[in-house]
Amino acid sequence: MKTIILGIGNQILGDDGVGIHVVNEVKKQIQDPNITIDEAITGGMNLLDLILGYDKAIIIDAVKSGTSKTGTVKRIPISDFNTMHSCNPHDVSLLEAIKMAKKLGEEKIPKEIIIIGVMMKEIPCEFGEKLSEDIAAAVPKAVEMTLNEIKN
Amino acid sequence: MRTVTIDPITRLEGHGKISIFLNDAGDVENAYLQIPELRGFERFAQGRRAEDMPQITSRICGVCPVAHHFASTKALDAAFNVDPPSAAKKLRELMYMGYYIYDHTLHFYYLGGPDFVMGPDAPPAMRNVIGVIGKVGVEIGKEVIKHRAYGQKITAILGGKATHPVCGLPGGVSKGLNKDEVKDIKNMVDSCIDFAKFTLNLFDDVVLKNKNYVDLILSDPYTLKTYNMGLVDKNNKVNFYDGKIRVTDQQGEEKVKFDVNDYHKYIAEHVEEWTYIKFPYLKSIGWRGFEDGKNSGIYRVGPLGRLNAAEGMATPLADKEYKRFYETLGGRAVNSTLAFHWARLIELLYATERAKELINDSEITSQKIRNPVGEPGEGMGVTEAARGTLIHHYKLTKDGLIDKANLIVATTNNAGAINMSVRDAAKGVIKKGDVSNKTLNMVEMAFRAYDPCFACATHTLPGGMPLEVNIYDHKKKLYKTLRQNL
Repeated sequence: MKTIILGIGNQILGDDGVGIHVVNEVKKQIQDPNITIDEAITGGMNLLDLILGYDKAIIIDAVKSGTSKTGTVKRIPISDFNTMHSCNPHDVSLLEAIKMAKKLGEEKIPKEIIIIGVMMKEIPCEFGEKLSEDIAAAVPKAVEMTLNEIKN
Repeated sequence: MRTVTIDPITRLEGHGKISIFLNDAGDVENAYLQIPELRGFERFAQGRRAEDMPQITSRICGVCPVAHHFASTKALDAAFNVDPPSAAKKLRELMYMGYYIYDHTLHFYYLGGPDFVMGPDAPPAMRNVIGVIGKVGVEIGKEVIKHRAYGQKITAILGGKATHPVCGLPGGVSKGLNKDEVKDIKNMVDSCIDFAKFTLNLFDDVVLKNKNYVDLILSDPYTLKTYNMGLVDKNNKVNFYDGKIRVTDQQGEEKVKFDVNDYHKYIAEHVEEWTYIKFPYLKSIGWRGFEDGKNSGIYRVGPLGRLNAAEGMATPLADKEYKRFYETLGGRAVNSTLAFHWARLIELLYATERAKELINDSEITSQKIRNPVGEPGEGMGVTEAARGTLIHHYKLTKDGLIDKANLIVATTNNAGAINMSVRDAAKGVIKKGDVSNKTLNMVEMAFRAYDPCFACATHTLPGGMPLEVNIYDHKKKLYKTLRQNL
């Protein structure tokens, strides 16, 4: 089974980059030729391109949530993301990209796509390389959950 | 001009917000679009190594990394006082065409197109790319995916990485092309030319042959008579990668043409207390508030701005289409906001034709791709991002570190116009307090035409653009809220 672990985020946008911080830790703990560990700063169609051909994809990213406590880490199957129509300014959501690929007969979509989401109220709008205290504290938990995902 | 106090609006973070104010008859008095803006770049950049800027700035915006990469690289060419070899310039421009191919394709089929192919009244669940494919067919859907991917692949071959290129260096590029890569790109480019032609035919069939759509495009709420800005070559033809910045007026006559080094002589920025976005305007005309017309310094950039600011396209097929564009829409300039969509497809065709010229250029496999840099100083660089003119300006220390950095990004250039387009669309569709989700989409269409890149357009999951529309009655009391992805 081929698995990809993908940290998503922008390292120069503070907490937005938490996914990258997490995979940097995960990298130190996994050495398995069947597991690819990578990072990216992209979404939608480009993100889908990166996970095609793997059996399982684990995506670690910041998730904006109005209801969850900042710094909570959640395991979210991709199917649990709410449906969204094409409304964002310049890309589609990952879920929409997947739906579209399925419709077009794409056979390389991973059977399992799991999001390890680090919850935050707002995505930062100010440049910086450091994580805030709450989000930095969530990194070990997100690392642990990612590793558990591999063991299962 | 009457001053409007807009108390209920606070500056915002994280999501887009439209505030619409009704008068006592329930019609629209005014409307404001607030979009999140990333802040603190100048401070962030200070003290960093100048040559890191093309990588750093390509992360500013989730949607135009390639444009930032090269605006930055060109600013460094100037700051280090070096002119890259002509092969390097051609490689950069070829890569830039790959970026336009995937970017413009994505916008038409996924974002702007659904409004036309499915119709602006179609329910949101249908008004998306899945709906489009349902209508045009799976085979065409596959072509869309394929050619978007070709654009990405061309960019990746030249740039090292598709989304965040690493090839731009002051004085040139880090990587040339070998014969196999050239062959690969040639095949993809030929296919892209056919795809661009097909897409223009599709636009013709779906939009231009439908009188309702043409009427909608030409209707008042979607018309804005601003100045236009874009890069042009020495023949005043549209150029994405290099040239002079040309500004034309509402009739398409040249107002000014200048080198990027003089941008501060021609462009000033206006600040409003309700948003972090600064509104650029033409200094010589002045800021007259959110007004269009000859006396207001607001201008538009992006596909429509570029076509209006030029006198044609530099490749034959695109130029033919350019002429048809003006003949069909009533002469120069075209001031119809929804015409951005057509203009974008004309540019897609140009990008594919220009890519063919470049890949067939005998110099494209040259190994002379970098010149030695000079002493660090000050430099400005300009490119046309897919969504408009983009300027980087750096001042370096004698050790080659960033002392000062200033950027004027594409969506900022359009900020004043987008705000007016949203207001005018709201005025056109909201009558007597009647507000529905359909209304929201008609308002959204006004700003979607510009293909703006907001700070929230980065990768962050779940990925939809969060937007909130608040409608206030004549007493400024909240009357209705429409929300999506919040």
